Amino acid sequence: MNEWFSETMLRHQLLQLPAMLALGIFAGFWFSKYFHISFTVGITLLIFIMFSFIFWMLPHSIDLAVINTSFNRAMHVNMLLAGLFMIPILQSTLFEVKIIFLGMLSSMLIATGITLTVYDLLLCSSYNIAQQKETGSRFIIAGIILYAGTIFTFIRGSGKQ
Amino acid sequence: MLQISPVEIKRQRKLVIIWSITFMVVFPLLIILGLLMRLNQGEDINLGADTFYTLMTLHGLGMAGLLFTFSFAGLWYLVGTRQAKLNISVGYFVYTLVLIGVIGLAIATLIGKFGPGWYMLYPLPFIGVNWPAWSTGLAIVSLIIMGVAWLSGIIHLVSAMSKEFGGFSNLMGWQYLRKRKEGERDLPPIVMITTISLVPGLCAFLIGAAMLFMYLMQLLEPALHFNPLLMKNMVMFFGHTLVNITLYCCVGWVYALLPEYTGREWKTDKVLVYSWNATFIFILFAYFHHLYMDFAQPSAFQYIGQIVSYSSAIPATAITMFGVISQIYHSKIKWGVIPVCFLIGVAGWAIGGFSAVVDSTIAVNSVLHNTLWVPAHFHTYMLGGVVLFILGLIFYLSHTKEEQEKDKTAKFGFWLFVISIHCFIGMFYSGGLNSIPRRYADYKGIPIVSVHHTGALLAEIAALFIILLLIGLFIMYFAIIIKLSKQKNASLIKSV
Repeated sequence: MNEWFSETMLRHQLLQLPAMLALGIFAGFWFSKYFHISFTVGITLLIFIMFSFIFWMLPHSIDLAVINTSFNRAMHVNMLLAGLFMIPILQSTLFEVKIIFLGMLSSMLIATGITLTVYDLLLCSSYNIAQQKETGSRFIIAGIILYAGTIFTFIRGSGKQ
Repeated sequence: MLQISPVEIKRQRKLVIIWSITFMVVFPLLIILGLLMRLNQGEDINLGADTFYTLMTLHGLGMAGLLFTFSFAGLWYLVGTRQAKLNISVGYFVYTLVLIGVIGLAIATLIGKFGPGWYMLYPLPFIGVNWPAWSTGLAIVSLIIMGVAWLSGIIHLVSAMSKEFGGFSNLMGWQYLRKRKEGERDLPPIVMITTISLVPGLCAFLIGAAMLFMYLMQLLEPALHFNPLLMKNMVMFFGHTLVNITLYCCVGWVYALLPEYTGREWKTDKVLVYSWNATFIFILFAYFHHLYMDFAQPSAFQYIGQIVSYSSAIPATAITMFGVISQIYHSKIKWGVIPVCFLIGVAGWAIGGFSAVVDSTIAVNSVLHNTLWVPAHFHTYMLGGVVLFILGLIFYLSHTKEEQEKDKTAKFGFWLFVISIHCFIGMFYSGGLNSIPRRYADYKGIPIVSVHHTGALLAEIAALFIILLLIGLFIMYFAIIIKLSKQKNASLIKSV
């Protein structure tokens, strides 16, 4: 399964990472019943999650995750943890923080996507240029969907907090 | 009905006074940068091109940021003391982040010599530059910090109002478009205008954040090459919306405060709802008129730009002006400095708005786009509109109703300021009509002698009016500080 995910950049970035994150999120629903995360700890963990996303988008990290088994496992654990914390944090934190987190994540995805589509040099030696550009275009789509989702969440959720 | 305690009102007042003092310090400093630029163009001093563009960048970024931030702070105060409970900590959080951002920008420009102009058009900050990479990075990070501050404030403000008025659709005034329920709470226009101004702001700031992230990537990886047209669309969506909503935020105050002086209510009705909801759409698409010169932009967007720019002039502007006239007509209003600030501010908005519409006509824009007409129109509605609204609000904080009617110092300062503003702006308009190019550090290199001489002469005259408007501004400051210190002394005596 891991090999299949690592075969193309698109699967690695847009299937494997979100899949691990989603597993963490499902576990987080259960986890959130038992743990209350304070505001300051929540902000710290959100910064951790944000940095995790950034770290696993870096070309060198992607390369290492493909060729080095322990690094690959570290990636799985990291994304699982990021997902695990995400729900309890988003449930307990301020509405403003939630929207800014989602909004900034969408901006980052769009920016990274555009960068990958326009960059003509191979960033990850484990993949090829065509895969890099394809991943970029999917990132843009994911970013735009998240951007729309953020605005929708803001409009729908404002006043309910 | 909402109850806001006197303690809470006092806290909000303290915050807005801190904002006002910050504005009063930073604003003249930024004007002085403008004065230096005009003196350089008038060939009275020699700054050199590098310093000129550094000052131009700080002046532009500083003014756009300062005016938006204060217009937001004013809304925050008026909403937080009348319409909804706002968390004061969020207010101070926004203030602190904006301050950090401003300091960062000042260091990047004044020390780092960062000077690509206020909207940092791609690829200007990266190609053939004479400033170090750290100053570009610092400027970008500072803008991201300010963006986070504004986003936090916007989300909190809209969310608090939504909670108070029963949901987002009620904030947009949609309940007025159906049969209203018995005893349903009226929607104050300031609440609807705040929502309609700030939600497009949220959309634009997130796109601005994506653009700034791309700038950061470009900084880290010089081999990258983004599509300049895409970047310009992103910059203009962010920048145009920021400036546009600055004006609308201030207009919100006029709806809230002018009735206090005319004694007439200014209520929300169907016409107001339709017009401001239409404005919501126009705010998002009017920015296309900034891209008329970009031949690669699809033609359809150019037409949309012109149509939307024309359309945006009708609902909010016309309805507000008609509203202002019906507020003051036969109202027995006493013309103290506050209502005059609002009235002349609305006039500045109308004049600047009209010349903006003229410039948004494709056929006219192809002639005027790169001339001083462009700074003329935005100085008209920013300096002759937004700044007067801001001064009106600061007077509202410092003067009682009776004091503002009698304060001759304030009135003298105001009229000196307003007359100087319009004479100063007149030089820009004359420059535009005489084909004087904009964004030139000086006109020495222009081979047409008449253009060179006219440009330099108009810049010299403009510099004179800048000095006069600064004098007018300081006279108003004097009147404000005296009243504010009297209030402080009175409250001290009370507490003893």
